[in-house]
Amino acid sequence: MKDEQFTMTLEAPRLSPAMLARWQEEVTRNFLRMKHLAEMVLNPKEPEVGPTPREVIYKKNKSRVYRYASKRTVRTPLLFVPNLGISRPYIFDLMHRGSFIEYMTGQGFDFYLVDWGVFGPEDNGLDVEEVVTRLLPRLARKALQSSGAREMSVLGYCMGAPLSASFVATHPDFPVKNYINMAGPIDFSHVGMFGLWLDPRFFDVDRYVDTMGSIPADMVKAGFKLLKPTMDLSTNLNLWWNLWNPDYVTGFNALNKWANEYQPFPGEFFRQWVKEFYQQNRLVRGELRLGGQAVDLGRITCPVLAIGAKEDNIAPPACVRPFIDAVASTDREYVELPGGHISLIAGRGASVHCWPKVASWLAQRS
Amino acid sequence: MNQQLMDLWKKQMEEGTQAWVRLMSQAPGAAGAPAVDPQAFWKPFMDQGIGAWSKLMSQGPASPDLVNQWKQFLDQWIAAWSRVLEQTMGTEAFAQVLGRQLDASLNAAGPAKKAADQQIEASLASLGMASRAQVIGVAQHIAQLEEKIEGLEDRLDAVLERLDRIVGAGQGPAR
Repeated sequence: MKDEQFTMTLEAPRLSPAMLARWQEEVTRNFLRMKHLAEMVLNPKEPEVGPTPREVIYKKNKSRVYRYASKRTVRTPLLFVPNLGISRPYIFDLMHRGSFIEYMTGQGFDFYLVDWGVFGPEDNGLDVEEVVTRLLPRLARKALQSSGAREMSVLGYCMGAPLSASFVATHPDFPVKNYINMAGPIDFSHVGMFGLWLDPRFFDVDRYVDTMGSIPADMVKAGFKLLKPTMDLSTNLNLWWNLWNPDYVTGFNALNKWANEYQPFPGEFFRQWVKEFYQQNRLVRGELRLGGQAVDLGRITCPVLAIGAKEDNIAPPACVRPFIDAVASTDREYVELPGGHISLIAGRGASVHCWPKVASWLAQRS
Repeated sequence: MNQQLMDLWKKQMEEGTQAWVRLMSQAPGAAGAPAVDPQAFWKPFMDQGIGAWSKLMSQGPASPDLVNQWKQFLDQWIAAWSRVLEQTMGTEAFAQVLGRQLDASLNAAGPAKKAADQQIEASLASLGMASRAQVIGVAQHIAQLEEKIEGLEDRLDAVLERLDRIVGAGQGPAR
């Protein structure tokens, strides 16, 4: 009777040793989450970006051409033309082991990056025409001279694709060995929500540019945030989830710095870009004229690769793919890879899908 | 079992968001449209969800899988809302509202910007300092000068190249 009294205790729920270990791991992760959160809030460090060594080979006004040297096991160097305005180009060399440029130089490509620079009110007169017919040809020529090569491959990313494709189509004297369009909108009738919001029925670009002069970075930021309103929520949720992992935190800090560093547009550039590309879709219709010359994508005859990102909501695959039909190249290929507009070229997925594809496609033709 | 519960959540979420889209697309006061009660719409969804969670919790000792399930649930919740918002924002009605908002902000920003610019110009002039327009003008002149110098460099390069070719042709092939 006495013994029975002592055995009448509340039974705690039984946990298997494996489950107990997993709970311990979860508790440890929570401690690490709190520790890293405290570090981020109380002692924020400026992330180091752009780790690959480079040299400026040419500068003109705000724009620069950077050379990232390699062992040059591939003969033809690569000229990379990114978007103008919107964001800074260090996303392509974000961090060690997370850099497209580092990967490509590691594969033996001499890499030339066009950095359009950060434009001020004094550049408001710069338009698409000047970029395609005067600025980009000069930057490309300087890159070619610096490389000592006879030909270059050109890769246009995002807005850099229609700009560089227009340049290649109107400058047959520039020796382009291969051309890659990466997530670059060509047929603006399939450009998604931006196309709808910038429709002339709803958006008066003339009034906007005439009033504001340039397109401020805050306006660019608002547009992109609106495109994916839940992005900040899911980013922060994923941060919390992975906050225990110091590598994730390092990557997050670098990407977050880039993602919040929006850049303004020169007013006239924005006017022409919205009117002639988004609203009138002149490029794919063959109606675009720059510098008094028709821009005919059919004059591009070199090998061409177009890459669309399956979940891209800035340049959906449907507006990238028509590039393949517009060029006259016999060697042409379109691939659709996993990811969104940014994760196509930056991040872990890019290092598995996009970078090897670009390097192997170019290496076979360089 | 957990997977089944998650699938149930997912199904509910999909149906819920689709219903939400339908709800959003109904113009208020549209002729013939039945009155919409958001509570009536969300209640079955929430009830079933809560039921699913209590069933899961009563199955045995709490497992760390619950934390993963919760994260999956939140991811799906965000993804579902993202789809709802994308569908709503991808309509002409939304683009029209956006355009109107932008017009209204320009109506307000235009005169304010003009007044601020004039005020700054006047302040700088009274201090004997260069105005913003003058500084921009100087920067534009510098850019134009740079352009001219580069144009000269290009021409010089072209002349030198031509000279090289002439000299090369004059020397003839090496013997």
